[in-house]
Amino acid sequence: MSFDWSVVWQHREALLAATGMTIALTVATMAIALPCGLIVAALRLYGWAPVRAAATAYVELFRNLPLILVVYWAFYVLPISTGLGLSPLATGLAALALNVTAYNAETFRAGINSLRRGQTEAAMALGMSRTQALRRVLVPQALRRVLPVLASTWVSLFKDTSLVSVIAVSELAYVSMQIRSQSYRVLEMLTAMAAIYWLLGYPQAKLVDWIQRRFAVTE
Amino acid sequence: MTQTTPHMLRAMASGAKIIRYRGVIKRYGDFQALSGVDLDVHAGEVVCLIGPSGSGKSTLLRCTNGLETLDGGDIEFEGAMLPREERLLRAVRTRMGMVFQSFELFPHLTALENVAEGPRTVLRKDAAEATRRATAMLAKVGLADKAANYPSGLSGGQQQRVAIARALAMEPDVMLFDEPTSALDPETIGEVLSVMKTLADEGMTMVVVTHEMTFARRVGDWVAVFDAGRIVEQGSPAQIFDAPLTERTRDFLSHLGWTG
Amino acid sequence: MDFDLSVITEHWRFLASGIGITLVLSAVSGATSIAVGFVVALLRLYGPRWLRPIVVLYIDSMRAIPVLVVLVWTFFALPILTGLTMPPFFSALIGLTVHLAAYVAEIVRAGVESVRPGQTRASLALGMSRAQIVRRIILPQAIVRMLPAFGSLLSITIKDTAIASVIAVPELMRQSETLAGQSFQPIEVYTFAMLVYFVILFPVTRGVDMFYRRVAHLGRS
Repeated sequence: MSFDWSVVWQHREALLAATGMTIALTVATMAIALPCGLIVAALRLYGWAPVRAAATAYVELFRNLPLILVVYWAFYVLPISTGLGLSPLATGLAALALNVTAYNAETFRAGINSLRRGQTEAAMALGMSRTQALRRVLVPQALRRVLPVLASTWVSLFKDTSLVSVIAVSELAYVSMQIRSQSYRVLEMLTAMAAIYWLLGYPQAKLVDWIQRRFAVTE
Repeated sequence: MTQTTPHMLRAMASGAKIIRYRGVIKRYGDFQALSGVDLDVHAGEVVCLIGPSGSGKSTLLRCTNGLETLDGGDIEFEGAMLPREERLLRAVRTRMGMVFQSFELFPHLTALENVAEGPRTVLRKDAAEATRRATAMLAKVGLADKAANYPSGLSGGQQQRVAIARALAMEPDVMLFDEPTSALDPETIGEVLSVMKTLADEGMTMVVVTHEMTFARRVGDWVAVFDAGRIVEQGSPAQIFDAPLTERTRDFLSHLGWTG
Repeated sequence: MDFDLSVITEHWRFLASGIGITLVLSAVSGATSIAVGFVVALLRLYGPRWLRPIVVLYIDSMRAIPVLVVLVWTFFALPILTGLTMPPFFSALIGLTVHLAAYVAEIVRAGVESVRPGQTRASLALGMSRAQIVRRIILPQAIVRMLPAFGSLLSITIKDTAIASVIAVPELMRQSETLAGQSFQPIEVYTFAMLVYFVILFPVTRGVDMFYRRVAHLGRS
């Protein structure tokens, strides 16, 4: 067995670009999924009954489906149902965003529910409306509680971006495997792929640990 | 009986009825929390609600500002029935101040910000006016020097005084106290009761659910004894504590070791 | 949008075999990862000191590397190193076990550490040995506390089997891909797959919730 690790170095630019894409996907998805998740959570907590039911259905649906299936399904169904010709990148982003929004909505809902009922009552006793109570009292406190969970969701999302490789989005997994196919350097490229994910992911995992320690809630 | 009852004396002496409870009924599933409560609160009065736990005192208070809805009877506030619609109810709440047993200060805001929150967000005062009110109210409860502290940096008694200041900053017509000292260490109870006495002396209308019998005896103008969702006896503090009319009241007071 | 369900009914055996593989792979990798994860956790908590950093490295690495990468590496790269070729199912089993065991280890560790230290002290005061304490006092309480996390891990396991489709394991996702490609009816096929996964997963998460609520009191100290 001879290993030629130089293949990794030769393709460093492509790998770097692919890594950038992975990071960009993660950031873009969270940028969408954070506000959307908050909105869905608010709808679930305070909307009219049909709105609450719809929001709950959405959350339960996407929490109970494999993301890879959502990616495939989005690839085939979205263009037809929306009439738009979406690029694989946009489709992948949409699938990721739909998925993470559902998780975030659940995180926010649990975070707000974990607050003492008395806080809502104190706000209402002052004459605040539901929206004011949410905005000024509940969400600021809930954010502190949900931060560890959101951090953990972020790391999962980072790893899940690898799944959009199945629809040929040029993120790290897809590009690595393409280079593997072209160069026949299977072990080297796949190990390099794992190593790059590890290099990026390990510090993120440690950061999540730190956040969880720092923001641990003591009642 | 042709002699004047305490009720008649009170009605003759006191001013306008700020709150009138008429046949108030409240159920939680099968449990009857309030089974027809009649009570009047006059302007400037301190009405103390006493009785065993679970007798409905706190429930009545929470019905007063609409945190709970009634299943029967009415509550009149300043001559008008308590509205059911949320927007109107909110407006009414701004005229009532409520102080909770668990203080419920907003932990992410400083003492000053807590007190200023109502005027800013609900009354839509500008920042300067809200801060001015807040500073004044904090000084009133004796905590001007703690304005920049977060609730976690304050003792229980201090937190409760900030909570009182927060309610006062709204300039309410009536203050509702739900067992304000039940969660406090004995040493800090005094500082809170002292603030409440000052308010009473200034003529604030107050409805106080409390287990502090000395406070009720000394500061209260009217005492209502609750048991199992009803008022079993109401009267002046002197009458209730020194010469209770009903068995139930006597039982309750002796349980507390009240020796007068 | 025309919905032609005939593609499903005509090929139901093909899809059903996929569902079968999904369930078997989920169950077996679930079981093996729990077993391995338990051992790893106990090694970390009670094993020799020199072993701990290695275990921690393993656990944290699995948090950093996507399942897809682990599966692909196990199927394509591992045979090159070991010289053995493995059928896709076993590669998937190994890959999933290695990945999930790390999470199991974390759950077990968190569960054990959440039992109040007073419980250990009280047991020592009674004269129990460490092993007895762990076995009779700590683990029973810890296991109850771990249940919700295990429930969600079971759900994740089932979802992760779908990723095994990329290494050609003939589970439901793979079968759906194949059928969708051949029949040119991806919408019907993938929608059916979504339905099946939802029907499998929804009761799992709900069931664990309900079971936990029944037994939660056993874990409180």
